[in-house]
Amino acid sequence: MRPWMLIGWALAACLPLLLGSGYAVQVADLALLNALAVLGLNFVTGYAGQVNFGQAGFAGIGAYVTALGALAGLPFWLALLAALVVAAGASLALGLPTLRLRSFYLAMATIGFGEIVHLVLLHWESVTGGSSGLRQIPPIGIGRFVVGTDAQAWWVLLAVLALAVLVAGRVRRSWLGRAMIATADAEIAASLTGLDTLRVKLVALMLAAVYAALSGGLYAGYVRYVSPDQFGNQQAVLLFSMLVLGGTGSIGGCLIGAAVLTVLPEALRFLHAWYMVLYGAGVVAIVLFMPDGVVGAARRLGRRLGVG
Amino acid sequence: MPQLVVSGLTLGAVYALVALGLLLIFSAARVVNFAQGQLLMIGAYLAIAAQVRHGLPAWAAYGLTLAAMALLGVVFMLVAWRPLRGRPTHLVILTTIAMGIILENLALIVWGPLPVSLPAPLVGRPWRVAGGVITMQQMFVMGTTMLALVALSLFMTRSRFGVLMRATAQDLDMARLVGIRVDRTIAAAFAIGSGLAGLAGLLVAPLYLAEPTMGGSLGLKGFVVAVVGGFGNLPGAVVGGLGLGLIEAFAARYVSAEYRDAVAFIIMIAMLCVRPRGLFGETVGERV
Repeated sequence: MRPWMLIGWALAACLPLLLGSGYAVQVADLALLNALAVLGLNFVTGYAGQVNFGQAGFAGIGAYVTALGALAGLPFWLALLAALVVAAGASLALGLPTLRLRSFYLAMATIGFGEIVHLVLLHWESVTGGSSGLRQIPPIGIGRFVVGTDAQAWWVLLAVLALAVLVAGRVRRSWLGRAMIATADAEIAASLTGLDTLRVKLVALMLAAVYAALSGGLYAGYVRYVSPDQFGNQQAVLLFSMLVLGGTGSIGGCLIGAAVLTVLPEALRFLHAWYMVLYGAGVVAIVLFMPDGVVGAARRLGRRLGVG
Repeated sequence: MPQLVVSGLTLGAVYALVALGLLLIFSAARVVNFAQGQLLMIGAYLAIAAQVRHGLPAWAAYGLTLAAMALLGVVFMLVAWRPLRGRPTHLVILTTIAMGIILENLALIVWGPLPVSLPAPLVGRPWRVAGGVITMQQMFVMGTTMLALVALSLFMTRSRFGVLMRATAQDLDMARLVGIRVDRTIAAAFAIGSGLAGLAGLLVAPLYLAEPTMGGSLGLKGFVVAVVGGFGNLPGAVVGGLGLGLIEAFAARYVSAEYRDAVAFIIMIAMLCVRPRGLFGETVGERV
């Protein structure tokens, strides 16, 4: 880890002291949670090159399993752990049959998966509470420590995110990360070298699902309320937009994209429906003019300055 | 029971039209348009605006709607497809989704969130057939879908333009090399595809109400149908559409009304796993 990164994390730890008011810290906390899910999406889409619009569905599974477990009396961390296992299982169930598919077909299969999860959350009322969701979920905590304030949540979530970033960086530099990128770049060539590309894609999807479930489970414990609409297709598209805005395949990009697209709708709340028009137009503009996202654009700018 | 068949086939015909539009765009541009449902919604609102707000007769309102939708299709192609050639698929997919978000929220701003209705163009007594009742509008929807299928099939196989379109789909660079004006061909495909979405919109608006969010679910059903029928197989799309409409109607009645939408997605995922080329295979882009 480079020194400027450490400084960055240290500055981030001070953020709640600078923001002061509760609302701003709440938005910041949500940005951390989104960043976790986007970081997961980066494994499967950024590295392994596979479209995944099921990320919100995995987050929903994580949130509901955590909520149900904690409400049933399990310690929070144990409920969260169970959620990660269930989400990993769901990713296998989705990925095994569908990861052979390419581009549009995989996109449709994952959208279908997201829709099915959403419909189950909405209609399995005896368990999920239907459209009114689950309330009074026990807060994030381990042992006797329980997260009480938004600032405490920030520190806990930041620590989790830091760990998640560390793991993502390790994976990226490992054999597995190189295998994912080889699969994305030239799947047939990669498989000719003896690489089991289907297995690589499955592991990438599983990592994505576990990150999403971690994000969803912590969301359930932080907001202490979950409802189906928080995990619908709109959220899946939003997570995807965050990845593309920041820079597909870049860990720093994931964090930037999540931060920008979490704060922007709050800051531009006065625009109402116009915000969504602006958001759509912004996504189109990013794809057209900055397809490698903020990080890619910054890198190109840096290179030009360095050369010139 | 016969009533279920009628309502299932009617909605199925709308699914089929959405799928036909998707196929046409896919067959030329090799892009799945994830905003097809939102184009449908715009078509429904344009027909309502022309007929209800401005008092045009139905035939004029429909003609104007289709023309406007064709134009919108060309704009769509210029903004969301042409500059993206060669970009990774996930960016192309995201762009069409973003176009859908823009259309949906513009509709929300212009026409408001409340559902509005379009009067049915044909008035007449419902028919009684084998214990069921078919309204004029239901007949109109099914008849128009069949006509659209026949016209499109003839267009794709018999007309010069249809052949050019299929050639472009097969190999864009080769098509350009032999002198096909690729952009013009693909713009035409988008115009027809968007027009078909508009047609579906103005047909569905008198049956159900129009609202800005109506496109999401109808668009997704269109994909399911396109996948089941085989991406690129025109009759397959119509058979798939009618089939899905029927299955949904019966599933809602005999299995669970709440999970009727889930049925479609389960069928699609199962189909993608077992026969990703669809029941009838992909034909439009295959042979010229």
